[in-house]
Amino acid sequence: MNLTRRDFLELAIVTGAYLATNPVSALAKMTLDDILSFRSTGNVTLLFTTDLHAHLKPHYFSEPINLVTPKNLKGLPGTITGKDFLRMYKISPSTLESYFMSCVDFPVLAQKFGKMGGAAHITWLVKQIIAERGRDKVLVLDGGDTWITTAVGTFTDGKAVVDWMKLTGYDLMVGHWEFTFGKETVLKRIKELQEAGCEFISQNIREVDEFGFEGDLVFKPYAIKEVGGAKLGIIGNSFPFTPIANPKQFVEGWSFGIREDTLQEYVNELREKHKVDAVILLSHDGLLLDIALAKKVQGIDIIISGHTHDVVPKAYRVPGTNTVVVIAGSHGKFLGRLDLDVRNGKVRDISYKLYPIASNLIPADKEAQKLVDKYYKELDKKLGLSKEIGTTEVMLYKRDTFFSTWDWLVGEAINDYYGGDLDVVTSPGYRWGTVVLPGQKITVDHVYAYTAITYPNVYVLKRTGEQLKMVWEDVADNVFNPDPFYQQGGDMSRLWNVEYEIEINGPQYNRIKRVLIGGKELKPKKEYLVAVYGGPPPPPEAVEPGYKPVPVYEILINYIKKKGTINVRTKPNVKVLDAEYHTYDECYGGGK
Amino acid sequence: MTTRRSFLKAAGIAAAGFMLGAGAIFNPAHAKISLEEALKKHLGVGLSAIKESNEIKVKAPSIAESGANVPIQVSASVPIEKVEALYIFVDKNPNPYIAHVEFSPANGEVFFATRIKMGATSPVRAILKLKDGSYLMAYKEVKVTVGGCG
Repeated sequence: MNLTRRDFLELAIVTGAYLATNPVSALAKMTLDDILSFRSTGNVTLLFTTDLHAHLKPHYFSEPINLVTPKNLKGLPGTITGKDFLRMYKISPSTLESYFMSCVDFPVLAQKFGKMGGAAHITWLVKQIIAERGRDKVLVLDGGDTWITTAVGTFTDGKAVVDWMKLTGYDLMVGHWEFTFGKETVLKRIKELQEAGCEFISQNIREVDEFGFEGDLVFKPYAIKEVGGAKLGIIGNSFPFTPIANPKQFVEGWSFGIREDTLQEYVNELREKHKVDAVILLSHDGLLLDIALAKKVQGIDIIISGHTHDVVPKAYRVPGTNTVVVIAGSHGKFLGRLDLDVRNGKVRDISYKLYPIASNLIPADKEAQKLVDKYYKELDKKLGLSKEIGTTEVMLYKRDTFFSTWDWLVGEAINDYYGGDLDVVTSPGYRWGTVVLPGQKITVDHVYAYTAITYPNVYVLKRTGEQLKMVWEDVADNVFNPDPFYQQGGDMSRLWNVEYEIEINGPQYNRIKRVLIGGKELKPKKEYLVAVYGGPPPPPEAVEPGYKPVPVYEILINYIKKKGTINVRTKPNVKVLDAEYHTYDECYGGGK
Repeated sequence: MTTRRSFLKAAGIAAAGFMLGAGAIFNPAHAKISLEEALKKHLGVGLSAIKESNEIKVKAPSIAESGANVPIQVSASVPIEKVEALYIFVDKNPNPYIAHVEFSPANGEVFFATRIKMGATSPVRAILKLKDGSYLMAYKEVKVTVGGCG
């Protein structure tokens, strides 16, 4: 037996605790064979990733402490976190599964199980499964948010990730953040993929003229693939709210939307005209929207969802429908696999698994590793990605419904940069980022993994209390509207130097109750100095004179260097009046 | 794919009388009037006199890409001979009256598509006035937002 480094670590831990556990079974749970074990079935294998966010290298990424959700939706997949999640899916604490799928004891388990994800490790697993099943039985799919939001993704204009996708053998994809490279770059990369046999599909993007009237589809709405002797129709939905959630200028002349009517038409067309055996929707809609969509659109067998980063370890059959919804997490942590027995126009059996990409257990594909290393080396030289700029004492994370240590750090850094003049810093509620463990060195690469967008400037503006509250109510409705068709799948904006109370089930535009800015009640008519980033650029005349717009990552890199040791608050600045809201200590321990 | 719609839209404007309300063009100087007032002014009846009907379909985005330009499409399975006119209202616009379209049997069916301006999140209402003097209505909520974060 060859002992890998992983096995060695496992042995060390098991030996240390052998009186408390059964060492044989504990060790057996952690082998590569166990990760690979799968009840394969039927004639079709769908392999899928989503929301990689350009994490080509293994890293740490904790699932959120909270997914605060309107009460009518609570309990659905994608709304349960932490210990409740482990109970719901009967996962034992302190296992590899619990480390990958929940926030519970994340910093401790990270020491035990190591880094997650990594493009080369995904490639190895894809190739392994293809070798086992045969290429003609496998489709490899990606749900978007793949090319951008790390240094290696953003500053290669997505090229590094697209080259990896080509090498790995992806067949189909849809998108969202990809579009923030702008139309020209997106179309160029799509062409490169197409030449390698990977198609970009979307039924919900149409050209639109200057009067607002719609023209042709921009991309093919669906693809028909012969897989394992079955005919599959795969329809694409890119993120429906791309021109709203991200600056419109990147997709000027294209209109998005959910477009459930045309989706139904394409489902019918695939079944009636093309006589497909199964219809699959590859989507970047968000999990709750896809579950709602399954109730509106008839005839979809499988929805492979994305956008909301949810980990759903069991396939979810939407009640009252024949539609099964799956989603494979985010940040390279999982490869989803769905085996289908498809014959004579019917899906007869399914088998499903999320493979945790445990980078210490799953080998790296050599070719893919070479590619990743090449791009990293180039960028490291240019941007000093691996340079250590500080150490953090608390766990730095971004993902949560309302508050995160990373965003509080950003608030402090931006306020410091502008001379301590600011009343408020608002950070966007993106669901992506990375994690820096307590005691870990912070690198330049980490900073970019939280901030590498194509519109990174911080702007300082004056806003009245009234205006601020209106914007926050607006965002709150995009997060907490009880109807998923009216949500956007992001988290609430992060408000530095603000404390507020919220009733998430409260009336539309009237959820936020009490607001304090710098410890004092918000005054509706008072003007506040506010720094913002991650939204559409404001008109130049709105930018406060004397406060130069600067990329957020520059501010962060310099601030962390200056401070050396990072120690931000872990106590949330938000009080949720009508739902559970768990804190840092419950998952990560030892908060401040 | 747009032929049927474009054709009918053109027909709707040319053959049937298409009136654009002042409410379609924003002017904050105009005093705000309520939906109830607007309904009474244009239809002579209030909301409680109008029956909701699933024979009318209002198609519009759940979240508008731009409040300045929201695509809406109204269709109805009510026989065209019974229909006198279609009215469109947006509750929360300063003037909720948007447009009315008169139909004749030559139109073949009730179908109308246009772009409207919306100042805030609101239901978009399509109301059919029938020749027997009764009204049918359907609506869809359209959200107007400054954005959110992906």
